[in-house]
Amino acid sequence: MRKKVYYWTDSEHINKPVISDTILNTGVKINILKAKVEPQEAFLILELFGDEETIKKALDYLSKFGEVEEITKVIKRDMEKCVHCGCCITQCPINVIYMDDDYNVIFKEEECVGCKNCLKACPFKAIEIFE
Amino acid sequence: MKTIKEINEKIKKGDAVVITAEEMIKIVEEEGAKKAADYVDVVTTGTFGAMCSSGVFINFGHSDPPIKMLKIYLNNVEAYGGLAAVDAYIGAAQPNEDPDVDIDYGGAHVIEDLVRGKEIELYAEGYTTDCYPRKDVNVKITLDDVNQAIMVNPRNCYQTYPAATNGREEKIYTYMGVLLPEYNNVHYSGAGQLNPLQNDYNPIINNYNTIGIGTKIFLGGGEGYIIGEGTQHNPPFGTLMVKGDLKKMNSKFIRAATMPRYGSTLYVGLGVPIPVLNEKIAERCAIKDEDIEVPIYDYGVPRRDKPMIAKTNYAVLRSGKISLEVEIDGKIVEKTVKTGSVSSYKMAREVAEELKKWILEGKFLLSERVGTLGKPENKPMKSPITLVKDILSKPPITAPCNISIMEAAKILIEYNINHLPIVDDLGRLVGIITSWDIAKALAQNKKTIEEIMTKNVITAHEDEPADHVARKMSINNISGVPVVDDHKRVVGVVTSEDISRLFGGKK
Ligand code: SF4
Ligand code: SF4
Repeated sequence: MRKKVYYWTDSEHINKPVISDTILNTGVKINILKAKVEPQEAFLILELFGDEETIKKALDYLSKFGEVEEITKVIKRDMEKCVHCGCCITQCPINVIYMDDDYNVIFKEEECVGCKNCLKACPFKAIEIFE
Repeated sequence: MKTIKEINEKIKKGDAVVITAEEMIKIVEEEGAKKAADYVDVVTTGTFGAMCSSGVFINFGHSDPPIKMLKIYLNNVEAYGGLAAVDAYIGAAQPNEDPDVDIDYGGAHVIEDLVRGKEIELYAEGYTTDCYPRKDVNVKITLDDVNQAIMVNPRNCYQTYPAATNGREEKIYTYMGVLLPEYNNVHYSGAGQLNPLQNDYNPIINNYNTIGIGTKIFLGGGEGYIIGEGTQHNPPFGTLMVKGDLKKMNSKFIRAATMPRYGSTLYVGLGVPIPVLNEKIAERCAIKDEDIEVPIYDYGVPRRDKPMIAKTNYAVLRSGKISLEVEIDGKIVEKTVKTGSVSSYKMAREVAEELKKWILEGKFLLSERVGTLGKPENKPMKSPITLVKDILSKPPITAPCNISIMEAAKILIEYNINHLPIVDDLGRLVGIITSWDIAKALAQNKKTIEEIMTKNVITAHEDEPADHVARKMSINNISGVPVVDDHKRVVGVVTSEDISRLFGGKK
């Protein structure tokens, strides 16, 4: 299974290799979707892969060094409304929207973290985000 | 050499060779323009994008007793009624009268709903006359109920449209969509190699090979006509004025949109068939995205003449990313940013395909133009401009960081001012104090200027238009801003009184 989370590293742990340690100690696979590391704090969007137990262990481990929040949002695009303009593409912070070779605008929906940036930019109100 | 008449004969017999402008690229590349001109009869083009300069003339028929309608609202969106008794023009960009709905349901949405066959509420008022005794009318209507609904769009189908980026530190909301700060995206619009005017353009004469007044076209899923050059027509940034019957249109190709925090607009599908009369025409119809130059402007500069950041072409823009050389904090940096389209190339293709189908099925014949498009004209308005430096009271009253709160209070009283910029040794802005801050200092027993001054100050530049500063103040709900020069040195303060004096005096 896989799970997406927001992760804020506590400032005292900012210099520790928390992510690598989580991987080594629990055997989970981690895909870093977004990382914003500043001197005082770090914010990441992570995607965890593994069986249920591994993911649970990984989440427990991560919680020791920061705050974890699960991402449960799902995105839905109304294909009747979407005209494939592309006004949403550049708004996505983790690049899950793109235009394919036939000029269709494609969402890699399973990677979406529900930030709503695309929704706010769509001139046709074609996008909805559900909790 | 062929004639339009000959091509029409072939269309009627079902013998015409019709291809889209996209397909033509390959044919000309492989077989040459001469051969292509020999056997291709028609090239279809298409575009699908936001066209704010669109609207519909509606004749509602007369009520009994009759009314001379002056103020006219369709689903609460005002239509222009300064015409004969029951004629009106509904424009795509007109916002809703209800400020809570505003641009979310505007003229464009009324037009789309009409095409979809939905019921629309008509409310109209007028002054009474001997022949028009009625004062107001309020009924539900559909597209079938009105006599005529004639779409007349004063400016459609831009041949090329400049792309947009944003050098400001904050996101901006424009008719080119949402532009990210610090040049972090580029938005573009236009069908490029599929655009009707692009495929018919003749750079030598700066005019068009076949397109002109009377050219029959695809408009919004129905048949329409070019009635002349559009407003701001200025080839190679040519535009078209077009008309068509709304009753024959299809909501797939007439789509209402709202550019976030900008306005409502209509996405229109428009396609033009180009008769391939000779080799020269065939050659132009093979124009490719990479051959079409597109300038990129910084929309962060809220002026008519925006700085050009780069020149590119549609092929690069459609690739999804672009490298720009830009200046950030005084340093030239190269950055690769994402590109996004505002118009839909996929839908432009569908327009060209649909038109091709019509011609192949013999349902659509070509028309001969009766005149060429009129002369180019796109010059700026002779509007006066007031810059911040024109309304500045000089010299600036400022104070250093180390003065006491008492001294600051005295300065405010002595000069009868509300805003006191705090500066460093070189006169550069470090903060600002208002009379409110002084009051707060007393109430909260604060001791130093440092503690009470606002450090993140919203400023104006001396060369900024006064209108821009007025908007900044109202958005941020502040009553004054310090004005700085290129070196962040304070050269004055502009207050809301200065602004209202300026605008008040104009009326
Ligand atoms: S902005 Fe809206 S209409 Fe345009 S491609 Fe994205 S989802 Fe579709
Ligand atoms: S909500 Fe939209 S912009 Fe945000 S992550 Fe999902 S797809 Fe990307």
